[in-house]
Amino acid sequence: MTALDYLQFVLAPQVVNGLALGVAVVLVALGLTIIFGLLDVINMSHGEFYAVGAYAGLALGAAHINFWFLLVLVPVLMLPLGMLTERLLIRPVFHSRDRHVTTLLVTFGLALIAEDLLKLAFGPNTQRPATPIPGASELFGIILPNYRLFLIGIGAAIVAAVAFVVYRTRLGAMVRAAAYDRHMAASLGVPVSLVYSGTFAFGVALAGLAGVLLAPVYSVFPTMGRDFILLAFTVVIVGGMGSIWGAVVAGLLLTQVQALASLVISPVWTDPIVFGTMVAFLVFRPQGLFGKLGHA
Amino acid sequence: MMKMSYKAALLGALAATALSGGALAQQPAPIKVGVVTPLSGTYTPIGQQVRWGLELAAKEINAAGGIAGRPVALVFEDEEANPSVAVQKAEKLFQVENVDFLTGTVNSGSTLAVAQLAERNKKLAATTVSFADSITADKCSPNMFRVNARAGQQSLALAAWLAKDKPKAKVFYLGPDYEMGRSTVAAFKASAEQTGAQTTGEVFAPLDSKDYTQYFGQIRAARPQVIYTSVAGNDTVRLLTQLQDFGLLGTVSVVGASGTVTSQNISAIGGAAEGFATGVGYSPQIDSPENKTFVAAFRGAYKADPDLYGADSYGLLFAYKAAVEKAGGTDTDKVRAALEGLTWNTPQGEKTIRAGDHQAMQPMYVVRIDKGKFDIVDKVAADAAIGPDTCTRF
Amino acid sequence: MHDRLTLSMRASHVLALLLVAGALGAAAIGAAVGDTFYLRLATEALIFAGLALSVDLLLGYSGALSLGQALYFGIGAYTSALVLMHVPSFWLAMATAGAASLAAALVGGLIANRVRGVYFALITFGMAQVCAKVVYNTRELGASDGMIGIPVIDIGLGPFSVSAGSPAGFFLVVLAVIMLLYAASAYLLDTPFGRVLTAIKANEKRVPFLGYSVWRARMVCYLAAGLVAGLSGALYPMLRGFVSPELMFFMTSGNAVISVILGGVGTLVGALYGSIFLVVMKSVVGSWTEHHLIVIGLLFMAGVLFLPKGVVGFVRPRIQHLIARPRRPEAGRPPGTEPSHLKTEEVKP
Repeated sequence: MTALDYLQFVLAPQVVNGLALGVAVVLVALGLTIIFGLLDVINMSHGEFYAVGAYAGLALGAAHINFWFLLVLVPVLMLPLGMLTERLLIRPVFHSRDRHVTTLLVTFGLALIAEDLLKLAFGPNTQRPATPIPGASELFGIILPNYRLFLIGIGAAIVAAVAFVVYRTRLGAMVRAAAYDRHMAASLGVPVSLVYSGTFAFGVALAGLAGVLLAPVYSVFPTMGRDFILLAFTVVIVGGMGSIWGAVVAGLLLTQVQALASLVISPVWTDPIVFGTMVAFLVFRPQGLFGKLGHA
Repeated sequence: MMKMSYKAALLGALAATALSGGALAQQPAPIKVGVVTPLSGTYTPIGQQVRWGLELAAKEINAAGGIAGRPVALVFEDEEANPSVAVQKAEKLFQVENVDFLTGTVNSGSTLAVAQLAERNKKLAATTVSFADSITADKCSPNMFRVNARAGQQSLALAAWLAKDKPKAKVFYLGPDYEMGRSTVAAFKASAEQTGAQTTGEVFAPLDSKDYTQYFGQIRAARPQVIYTSVAGNDTVRLLTQLQDFGLLGTVSVVGASGTVTSQNISAIGGAAEGFATGVGYSPQIDSPENKTFVAAFRGAYKADPDLYGADSYGLLFAYKAAVEKAGGTDTDKVRAALEGLTWNTPQGEKTIRAGDHQAMQPMYVVRIDKGKFDIVDKVAADAAIGPDTCTRF
Repeated sequence: MHDRLTLSMRASHVLALLLVAGALGAAAIGAAVGDTFYLRLATEALIFAGLALSVDLLLGYSGALSLGQALYFGIGAYTSALVLMHVPSFWLAMATAGAASLAAALVGGLIANRVRGVYFALITFGMAQVCAKVVYNTRELGASDGMIGIPVIDIGLGPFSVSAGSPAGFFLVVLAVIMLLYAASAYLLDTPFGRVLTAIKANEKRVPFLGYSVWRARMVCYLAAGLVAGLSGALYPMLRGFVSPELMFFMTSGNAVISVILGGVGTLVGALYGSIFLVVMKSVVGSWTEHHLIVIGLLFMAGVLFLPKGVVGFVRPRIQHLIARPRRPEAGRPPGTEPSHLKTEEVKP
């Protein structure tokens, strides 16, 4: 086929598809980077919160609650879950010397349990909520489902909203201050303990929101927490832990690399490429593209 | 007086023991069938169907008097879809529980490893799910039997139908990148090309891919009439719904392996599954009295439709019953001889176990999904679908 | 050197001897009764205990959490399987597996040791995932089905010969191998090199100032751990007659980490006890419910939160007390009043 044909029918759709996937990854990674950036906690159970959000959306949707309402309801319902997790699991081990390792292990244990609990509660079969915005549109000859376009839009909106809150509001200033130097922030009157719980809860809520948004596209099943975990961690590391722009840039970039690479080389090499990128960054530029939350 | 009553008491006790001993002697030892199947992890839905099928069969057999008068007892262990765990649990069943027969393994790695273990324990085993050809071909085992249709049978049936439905169709192949996915695609491609189909492209996506949209560019460029896929479980849900979302299902019909669309994922796929066709050994729509009774009983007991895994597992126990009764006991060599060449009735018709490779021959069906139901559109006779016997180990 | 560290290692040795005694007793009973399954289950537990040992070597002594140690276990297993299918020799299989895992650990260590802490964990996790996927797709290695057909070999030990198919016999061979690995690891840690490792765990930044190379110490530790894992893995196909890619998957590495945490980080023998405990738990719990992951997950979290030193870590100070009393002048003092500079052993996991 001609170069123009290739551009229109293969390359351009690939780029746009990569964009839709990228937005999904960014949504999942956003919560993770915030938790890591502020609390310095590796949350191995982040994928499970994503799954819980999806299942919550499914269950509530079956009770005839409107999808748009769910977008607000599910994250709000997940906030107390996040706060509880932070208080019960993270807080006790937070002050040990090997906090990184211990929180990793504790959240790993939580992930084990969560997956089995979800299977117990909802059964092992795959389920899928109906696509809220059916149909497809044609843009410059590329056919794209409307829901994916919506995802791109709402993803951008969420990222902008989070960035706004973190960088332009007083609440965000408190969060950043607590990340940079918790003792100083505490002595300036910032309720650090509440900020910590709240931020963790916020990260968890973001994961849950991603779950609700992506359920119609990627379907819902008990092991879905593992879907994004490697990619999300890579995005967080490459983008810089705690950096929102880092997560966005890294997320979009990595998914584009994945999408375009699968055109020229066998898709089975995409995982090693992603992993290789992570290793390269860890070795040569461990602070990622944009550095830590408190220092960004 | 005391002597007399003592003697009387002794006599009475002896009589009682004799009677109860006689009664105890009436209580026959159960025949234990071990089931090592995934009860946790990704393959749980399959394990659940296997369990349901076996339990229903056991209930019916026991209600009708058991196997040669002995009740059947099923012992379940979770293999977690991991061959290492499967072998460990299977050994437990063989050694500690002393099961007479073993079944339930799902993935072919587990089945092959358990077959080897069965040989070393001098007991028999069967699979009702694994469809890798190697199990009854190059890696066949004298102690392993298979009652479900293997990949080769499914491909032959489907390819034959495709040649009739869409002669000389242009086919694009999309499979998951692992042994099973690749070999299933290869098997169908071989059959299809023999019946005149043209290959316009092939791509293998990593297992558990979330997003198949990255391959749609290639698919569109190839302009196929048919897409053949060997994905399964959640991957199928994503592939088909994404194909639908992107408008590709309008011009292309999708066919696939037997495990691609099953009761586990069909409700999640929804409308995107309409028109999907595959070659299988079973469909709940089979119009025979045995199948209707079976489906009704299954639905009544478990509030769900049986799929091929449930039906094949159900049929297995009856095969074992027939073999044990023919062999006059559970002795391994005698039962093996009885199973070889055995013909018995199942919900999907009559099956025969080919002696040369322990593979069950059965009529194969081509089913197409219409309004969420597997309608039968074609049927291929058992001997036409079976393919050659390539087992040389025994 | 006779300091608290030596003392605590000696307490570990006491527990190890206890383990051996128990194992020998169990083997005797098993052989007498003619049992096959439980002896082989115990053998499998010991083989995975070797993997847990390698995790503890890294985590307990250099403070590096490896989430992909199953990679070397798998490499050892596959190498051993390939050798055994062509030459049924125990010693050749062990030697080749050891060499292969050492080579792999060299490559892996060069990549992973550039970073520490959580990044190290993530890199080791990623390495294992990637390699497992490669093996999963390689047809020559059996691909996703793994390889069956590894023969039951005869192990020649001088004038004696033990068959790998003999449950009690092979159990004793594996016990010997694992205890040898344990002894070697313990010896390693009692040398000046071992002290450097402990120093790294306590305060890594200071070590270069004392004239020791951190990187070299961590590299050697990583190589040792890879070797231990590989040699343990080499025993697996001899027991079960097959290998599959699942041996390299995350769940295997995860189980090893759980064993170490429950048993006691940094005690070496805790890894052994933890692994045996885990195998028993999974077998027992798995028989009455398919939701065994919940039980194990809860136990694990409880272990991390409430018993951070593990069961052995909890028991060991008492044993230390018992063996310390007769020989050391300070032992007369109650534990709390010892001068703090002598408390070199109390490194937390």
